[in-house]
Amino acid sequence: MIKLNDIVVKFGDFTALHDINVNVKEGEFFTFLGPSGCGKTTTLRTITGFIQPASGTVFMNGKDITRVPIEKRDIGVVFQSYALFPTMTVYDNIAFGLKIKKLNKQEIDQKVRDIARKVDLSDEQLAKAVSQLSGGQQQRVAIARALVTSPKIICLDEPLSNLDAKLRVQLRNELKKMQKDFGITSIYVTHDQEEALTLSDRIAVFNKGYIEQIGTPNEIYNHSATEFVCNFIGDINRLEDNIVAAMNEKGAGLDPAWHHYIRLERLHVNKKDDADHFSFDAQVVASEYYGLYIKYTIAAFGQTLRVIEKNDGSTPFTQGDTVKVSFSTSNIMSYAPKEA
Amino acid sequence: MLNEKRFDATFIFRVIGIVFFAYLFFGFMLVPCWNTLTSIFKEKTASGDPDPFAVIRFFLAGNMKNYVWNSLKLAIILVITVNVVGISLVLLTEYFDIKGAKILRLGYMTTMIYSGVALVTGYMFLYANDGILTPLLTNAFPGLDKTWFSGFGAVVFTMTFACTSNHMLFLRNAIRSIDYNTVEAARNMGANPFKVLWKVVLPTLIPTLFSLTVMTFITGLCAMSSPTLLGYDAINPEIVRLAGSSAADESFPQARAALLSIILAIFTIILLTVLTAYERKGHYLSVSKTKAKLQKQKIDNPVANVIAHIYAYVLFLIYMTPVVMIIIFSFQSYSAIRMRKLDISNWTLLNYFGQADYEYMTARGEYKTRVGSISGVFSNEDTLGGIKTSFLLSAVAAALACVIVVVACNYISKHKKTGTILEYSLLFPWLLPTILICYSFRIYFNSESVWYVGNQNLYYADNVRLLIIMAYVVTKLPFSLRMIKASFYSIDSELEDAAKNLGSSSLRTFLKVKLPIILPSVLAVFALNFNALFTEYDMSATFASKYGTTYAMVIQAMTREEGLYGYNINASGRRCASTVFIMIVSGVILWLVYGVGARDLSERLEARKKRKAFFAKLFGKKQLKSEP
Repeated sequence: MIKLNDIVVKFGDFTALHDINVNVKEGEFFTFLGPSGCGKTTTLRTITGFIQPASGTVFMNGKDITRVPIEKRDIGVVFQSYALFPTMTVYDNIAFGLKIKKLNKQEIDQKVRDIARKVDLSDEQLAKAVSQLSGGQQQRVAIARALVTSPKIICLDEPLSNLDAKLRVQLRNELKKMQKDFGITSIYVTHDQEEALTLSDRIAVFNKGYIEQIGTPNEIYNHSATEFVCNFIGDINRLEDNIVAAMNEKGAGLDPAWHHYIRLERLHVNKKDDADHFSFDAQVVASEYYGLYIKYTIAAFGQTLRVIEKNDGSTPFTQGDTVKVSFSTSNIMSYAPKEA
Repeated sequence: MLNEKRFDATFIFRVIGIVFFAYLFFGFMLVPCWNTLTSIFKEKTASGDPDPFAVIRFFLAGNMKNYVWNSLKLAIILVITVNVVGISLVLLTEYFDIKGAKILRLGYMTTMIYSGVALVTGYMFLYANDGILTPLLTNAFPGLDKTWFSGFGAVVFTMTFACTSNHMLFLRNAIRSIDYNTVEAARNMGANPFKVLWKVVLPTLIPTLFSLTVMTFITGLCAMSSPTLLGYDAINPEIVRLAGSSAADESFPQARAALLSIILAIFTIILLTVLTAYERKGHYLSVSKTKAKLQKQKIDNPVANVIAHIYAYVLFLIYMTPVVMIIIFSFQSYSAIRMRKLDISNWTLLNYFGQADYEYMTARGEYKTRVGSISGVFSNEDTLGGIKTSFLLSAVAAALACVIVVVACNYISKHKKTGTILEYSLLFPWLLPTILICYSFRIYFNSESVWYVGNQNLYYADNVRLLIIMAYVVTKLPFSLRMIKASFYSIDSELEDAAKNLGSSSLRTFLKVKLPIILPSVLAVFALNFNALFTEYDMSATFASKYGTTYAMVIQAMTREEGLYGYNINASGRRCASTVFIMIVSGVILWLVYGVGARDLSERLEARKKRKAFFAKLFGKKQLKSEP
């Protein structure tokens, strides 16, 4: 559907994107994930045509669209701020693109009302100014405006970032449902890993203008390809030299020169050992009660580790308790150190 | 192919734009002013030899220095008096809990609806030796000279109260944006309200106060209408006098006027440079994420509280008395105005619509009629002519300034480097005193050898109106640019991207998306420019042409007319009515700008809904009534 071939984007002397290669399949919900300034929005803007790459090609359905003007690309965009025109009503905002396409009034009206119904906007809301709508309603208007011209792809640039946490979760679900209902190929930009993991079919993790890994949420989380991805996605413990040495004494076979990580939920407190489990005694340094789970900070081998335990109703451990911690060595993710 | 066409169109527009702005900058800003500067050094001796320093020698030897010193003295005193009164007004209405603050604020803001000549003549109506309040004042203060309201003291008095509008606008906004939590924190640590004011509130206002001080200083230095009408030898009135003088009457008057203009320009440039350098340091910004609204402070000490209330209401009286008196006397008969005595039983619209010629008694005791000097503002040909001229020139100039600035801002927002050059060229007139620009126009374009205006003498006959419009436009460009640019930069850049993504062309995006967003600001700037120009006196007085007699000049002429042919009561009444008319025009415009114009789409939709409901109700009721 959308293919980026060796895309390089430069701003003066600064190279914002280095040889980006991405292939987004039809109907897929594809997410660009990464910290601020990593190049994810730049990649999106290259696809939409707001930025011209210094080199490389953008293909859509096999056709080179690198030099095609923005308005001819047939790509809908939902902006971070929604970019709703404040001087127009909701109806006029949605109809804007249709008017430019010079559709007749009746056709415009029908399309606007159809899309409004699909995104759950009432006739009364159509007559309102955009400032009279809530954040969630504004997001629906932005999506309706992007979809009303029937684009082949919709690009969403951090559309949930301006909302409060509760609304963000609610709209995330609505967004996913809408994407499935419309069946439209979607490219989504976010720095929120949770958002990326819950929404996406596949994720591309960006760092400093490079793509570190492309994969399904499960691949990204459980089989992080690089140390950056492993650190950026989810919470993780780094196993320091003492613990690695202790494990190797028991035959773990870890390369002491490499960096080894394990996710918090892969460690267990006072659980029965399996054959491949490495276990050791540790002292509880802190305990945080979250209801659904409990997060412990434990000390062992001269380092601290964090552990997440599901709340099974038993009395939580408290500071100073000695516990037995265990984990499977197969859950360790190891990375060769980068050359300086 | 499509891209090439687009490129060509953009390129052509850009070339036209560059040529236009270069023409405007060089033709109407730089070249005329440069001509003024060089004219200082073009004088010759009696034998015809060049004597480049003749004017400077004359300046150093003669009394020209006095004008500069007088203006400086006025500026320095005004900095003190205006700041004292201005800060008082803001504190009394916004910081301290003074009873009736809302009414007080309205009174203090009256200078926003009438200023310049209208305000000065209003004060003269009250305080001149035959003014309404003069007998009261001389009774109250037996030592007071009846003619106290003239010269330096009168100018300081008038301008002190006339120049506080900026305090009421900017200082008020600054004090309202103070985070109240900082005040509460100081109180919590044991500071009393005055300590809080001195140690917490005032320090945060210093940047705004500094800007206001510089602006006040420049206003004092460039004062025109007050010194002219109240008789004080300041720079600007002298420049106007010299500009109208000839070499036959005195030594090189034109070059002297040019020198005084340049001196004013030097002062202005220095002050604005200092101001800009200071502004670059930035203002104090609240670091609070949950800013609390400022709450008024009660003055706990009963004596201080009473003194503050008395002070507030005395100021209110000073501001309101001229307004009230002028409004009342504009509806009074000739005899009431003549005697400066209110006749409650006799109200009239004579001063607005009266058609009677002016009759006066000569020194021989004979009655004579001055035909054409009819009483009503809207009947008197000269006054109507002034209104029409001012209306036309102001409206055209205000609109032109806005159009030029909107186009420029659109360019500046897209092109960083060339945009900066354009921005600075449009801000250039800010460095020059208005009088220098007008004087330069008057001298430079009073010739048929300026090729870029088609070798037309723009200071000849009707052409002078064009010259006034250009002067108005040029002097209003910096203010318009600062205001409109700010609103341009507040447009979310994603809106433009969104429009582009939906297929909109640059022109359509500008007209349908950006312009509607900035339109309220553009209209506000248009209205404020129009308001200022409609009653403007300084510039039209510099041009001093019967083809460009503006409303303010007509009002100023009325004060002279009063002294001619015996006492012309027609002129006094008409002057009062004129001031009322200006207040109404200014008030309506401010209401349109800040009331109606400031509404956003949701408020307009709400208002439309209410209107519809109202008419539906009305219509429904009528239907009910018509039912048998």
